[in-house]
Amino acid sequence: MAFKQNSVLPGFGLSLGYSIFYLSLIVLLPLAALITKTFDLDWAHFWSAVSEPRVVATYKVTFGASFLAALINLVTGLLIAWVLVRYSFPGKRLIDALVDLPFALPTAVAGIALATLYAPNGWIGQWFAAGTPIGNLFGPEGLPLAFQPIGIVIALTFVTLPFVVRTVQPVLADIEQELEEAASSLGASRWQIFRLVILPTLLPALLTGFSLAFARAIGEYGSVIFIAGNMPFKSEITPLMIISKLEQYDYAGATAIAVVMLLVSFVLLLAINGLQWWSARRLGRN
Amino acid sequence: MSIDIRNISKRFGNFVALDNINLDVASGELLALLGPSGCGKTTLLRIIAGLETADAGQILFHGEDTTAKHVSERQVGFVFQHYALFRHMTVFENVAFGLRVRPKETRPSETEIKRKVHELLELVQLDWLADRYPAQLSGGQRQRIALARALAVEPKVLLLDEPFGALDTKVRKELRRWLRRLHDEVHLTSIFVTHDQEEALEVADRVVVLNKGHIEQVGTPEEVYDTPASPFVYQFLGDVNLFHSRVHEGWAEVGKGRIPAPDAPDAPAIIYVRPHEIDLSRVASGDALHGEINHIRILGATIRLEVDVEGHDAVEVELSRERYSEGGWKVGETVFLTPRTVQVYSEPQ
Repeated sequence: MAFKQNSVLPGFGLSLGYSIFYLSLIVLLPLAALITKTFDLDWAHFWSAVSEPRVVATYKVTFGASFLAALINLVTGLLIAWVLVRYSFPGKRLIDALVDLPFALPTAVAGIALATLYAPNGWIGQWFAAGTPIGNLFGPEGLPLAFQPIGIVIALTFVTLPFVVRTVQPVLADIEQELEEAASSLGASRWQIFRLVILPTLLPALLTGFSLAFARAIGEYGSVIFIAGNMPFKSEITPLMIISKLEQYDYAGATAIAVVMLLVSFVLLLAINGLQWWSARRLGRN
Repeated sequence: MSIDIRNISKRFGNFVALDNINLDVASGELLALLGPSGCGKTTLLRIIAGLETADAGQILFHGEDTTAKHVSERQVGFVFQHYALFRHMTVFENVAFGLRVRPKETRPSETEIKRKVHELLELVQLDWLADRYPAQLSGGQRQRIALARALAVEPKVLLLDEPFGALDTKVRKELRRWLRRLHDEVHLTSIFVTHDQEEALEVADRVVVLNKGHIEQVGTPEEVYDTPASPFVYQFLGDVNLFHSRVHEGWAEVGKGRIPAPDAPDAPAIIYVRPHEIDLSRVASGDALHGEINHIRILGATIRLEVDVEGHDAVEVELSRERYSEGGWKVGETVFLTPRTVQVYSEPQ
């Protein structure tokens, strides 16, 4: 077989075969079922289901908010990973464990907690409400956080926090100190070392973390619906659209929207993966 | 530029890495810091570079105190054992790095950078690799690029930390000759760290032998090899046979034979003899040590014989190939050993 390589590890055929079988069973099969279901619709109905203005508005909200949330986590995730790798301080392990909590918490619980916190009368929301010093900076109505698109970004940021931290952390820990010392001896400032030496090395890991966070955010439902306010054309997310179609027994319509989401996500992830492959190749391997 | 190292001390916890080191490095010389691992040689180099801070003492560059200066301001070129090349940059960009990170006012123009980088790549004879990435180069090539990168900033001092330590023997020999030639061309004050005595003796103008945070001896390669200042230096700079004995009226007895120790006081002593400074004979002369050949190993140009000496452990004798075939030595033969040169150190009581 052309792919077969001589290797000290036996079982190439068996393990590859099993991997493909498993992926088919777990990933491909449900997705294929999803796509077949859409064939219940003819093209005109399919198109009208997925291009309905209210649905199109949800695409913008979902992909926009997911992108923003992933972007925020790209920056803060790098910062958290940096602090956890580079410094030692009391309670470091505790904070390290804390990072994974958003994974463990039921998303609905997170959504309710966040909605309570960020509501105009909540602990955090009250500081941004109308008439408060901070709120006044944003105009007479203050800056409402919950029940707005901004609330969706908050919820998604919370849920996708661990991805960037966990992908960047090991790579950052592996960067040899000598690289920074070499750059320093060549006259580079701290900022130049970070920008020119550390950041390019972290780029593939950052991209992986970003794409994982982005993908996770696109599919997120539980935490968002409690804080989003779910106003049509404003703060409705695509998964909510799918659920509401299901509740009206419009299974074909629901799957049509799902297929669109799936396609867009797939193309975006493929693009990010390509970018990541390209940047990893430039780094080379020893 | 000259470097003065004054009273430098450094500890890591309870471990004393450097204990009050004083050393003057003359302008333009190539100095080797030689010692076993853990002797503090790398720590000293890093303190000179500013990558490590000393607990006490001063580093003076050309008479000017640089102790408080950051590494980025010291104008030192530093070469690491494992190259520390930037993997995401081409060879060209690696070498250009030091020029590109300069502040705008002093940064050379793009054409100037190009000219300079190619000049340096020609100096290290690797101009044809400019567009490759470090991962595509061999170890020896990487280290030459690392050297070109360090030279790009026109350092006042070049510091090399075990520069050939990660290379295989053949490349290592080639590169150290090349480094010597390069130094003769550029004449930059250079300090390199090594644990390989052969490397230090071959390349350096002067050798500093370090042990346990102390300087044991400073001198030219001939000086340290021919007149070692301490038993440690003697032992470290090549293979050695040790005889524990007692000196009595200028002679140290070993079995039925004896070794001359003319100036040594009457006391227990350790006598050092290098394996290649022993004559073998089948005829017993007055003082020769008696022994029996136990093992013969052929190591290319030299032959090493292991001789069981009466009243002592095995002694190693090295013969050139010609002398070995002339003698026609066999395992099991009884032989008589006469050391040509010996070094006697009174044993601490």
